[in-house]
Amino acid sequence: MTHQLKDGGQVMQVGMLARVEGEGGMHIEFKDGHVESVQLNIFEPPRFYEGFLRGRKFTEPPDITARICGICPVAYQSASTEAMETICGVATTPEIQLMRRLLYCGEWIESHALHIFMLHAPDFLGYESVLEMAKDHAEVVQMALRLKKAGNDLMTAVGGRAIHPVNVKVGGFYRMPTVAELQRLRPALEQGRDDALAAVALVATFDFPDMEQDYNYVALRHPDWYPLERGTEVVATSGARFPVTEIADHVKEFHVAHSNALHASFDGKPYFVGPLARYSLNFDQLSPTTQEAALKAGLGETCRNPFKSIIVRTVELAYAFEEALRIVDAWRDGHAPSVPVAPVAGEGIGASEAPRGLIWHRYRIDADGVIEDAQIVPPTSQNQASIEADLRKAAEQWIDLDDHMLTHRCEEAIRNYDPCISCATHFLDLRVKRS
Amino acid sequence: MTGGRVLVVGLGSPDRGDDAVGAAVAERLGALAMDDVDVVTREDPTQLVQLWAGHDAALVIDAVASGNPPGRLHIREVGDAGEPLPTHAFTAAGRGGSHAFGLAGAVELARTLGTLPTHVTVVGVEAKSFDFGPMSPEVEANIDAAVATAAAELIALREEVQSCA
Repeated sequence: MTHQLKDGGQVMQVGMLARVEGEGGMHIEFKDGHVESVQLNIFEPPRFYEGFLRGRKFTEPPDITARICGICPVAYQSASTEAMETICGVATTPEIQLMRRLLYCGEWIESHALHIFMLHAPDFLGYESVLEMAKDHAEVVQMALRLKKAGNDLMTAVGGRAIHPVNVKVGGFYRMPTVAELQRLRPALEQGRDDALAAVALVATFDFPDMEQDYNYVALRHPDWYPLERGTEVVATSGARFPVTEIADHVKEFHVAHSNALHASFDGKPYFVGPLARYSLNFDQLSPTTQEAALKAGLGETCRNPFKSIIVRTVELAYAFEEALRIVDAWRDGHAPSVPVAPVAGEGIGASEAPRGLIWHRYRIDADGVIEDAQIVPPTSQNQASIEADLRKAAEQWIDLDDHMLTHRCEEAIRNYDPCISCATHFLDLRVKRS
Repeated sequence: MTGGRVLVVGLGSPDRGDDAVGAAVAERLGALAMDDVDVVTREDPTQLVQLWAGHDAALVIDAVASGNPPGRLHIREVGDAGEPLPTHAFTAAGRGGSHAFGLAGAVELARTLGTLPTHVTVVGVEAKSFDFGPMSPEVEANIDAAVATAAAELIALREEVQSCA
């Protein structure tokens, strides 16, 4: 793990990170008792999605981009449908928006339940993996499986499949679920809400490393509710606030040699997207129950300790169950599943709040609806600079720990982000020079 | 309620090349309409932990990546008294990835939580590719053999639970 360098420095390296999605590692160099450099290495190969979207029809991105990730396909479907509808000047109905939100609740439930209990909780309870944790905490793991199943069932009822839903299209859905189908989910959703609220109190009892960072949080904002499937504005701790359609003017992507995923800056600086950002910028939009649970768990209205993201994720899990119940109970049969969308030449942006944070897509299409350009900016790539800043701070702060403990602490600092490396490496940066 | 019945699960993503083989074999077994056999397909291995609860016997068909020639069949008994699955071959495959934890993880989690059936047989089909698209010709060509093998294992499992019942 720790190697001595010729110049007296030391290297701490983890070749393959555990309990994250995709393939990445970290590399930290120390010199004279200080951190010299940190790198989050993403070596999962690029996947060329933006390249092969060009030339495809404007109706295809919801199905194509959903395949970028098996954990957060709905995030891609929501951002791409919104972008296309914006370009074509089409507004869907309130019912279609509600159904998109319900589908998104299913994704948050699946993803958050997996990360909180199966991937992240072992860090706090002192286990190498959920398999060892299950021996001593069977009831927690059983609850996690129950929660995840409720999410899977919701995704299946609305999206047609638990993974990579097939019911989403530009303009809405192919088919709306019926009241009867949704009501069948109700007992599991109620149980899930109660379990998740109890879990907020449970995870709040974990020991949290003492570390705070001065992040620039960036998240969507919606006048009526906590942001999931869409927002009207992008807001930031820095005070920046602008319509979603202007995000490409503020975010710039760039390549660094040690990562196969593009880094990004917001108004020229590193920034942070994800549950901590959403929560800190939208606390007032949570329900009274989830606000109360959060405050009881010792969170303030903002949270700057990345290790406490597990509490925030659990608050969001409870909120997703509440929202799902609210939508299921209000649902009536007979709404049109979609509105027609005819192609209009132009460029547009769609954004949503993936479980791991803000994701946005930008497309340009021609008058026949053929995609001329595509840009997909997922949360994990935007967070790479913040992850590295946390690694640097953690390595400095706990430099006196032994190698094993320090490595573990740094891995935890990465898992705080629930990084999705497969998503981050979807991009294309291929240059061909001919002479 | 489930005593004397065998649960068959075809595991894997239908879109990811040879990862589709689990569901393809399971569907063929389902078409045989055997008595006392329930057949389902799943993409997410974590669901197995709950799905298995209350069953005495289960058969799982999944794609495997162990470096053997594509199409090669593997049979493992992983029930109560069985050994854990080799982690890499059954975890790295397709949907398993490193985020979810694959069939090997599901078996061990179910063992710990007490939902692992007494008899679980895994029929693995060596995969060539987990890329998007259809199954490889090598795996496709071995589906009949995989179905025959899985059917034989299924009959053995059913006899096992029904003789105990």
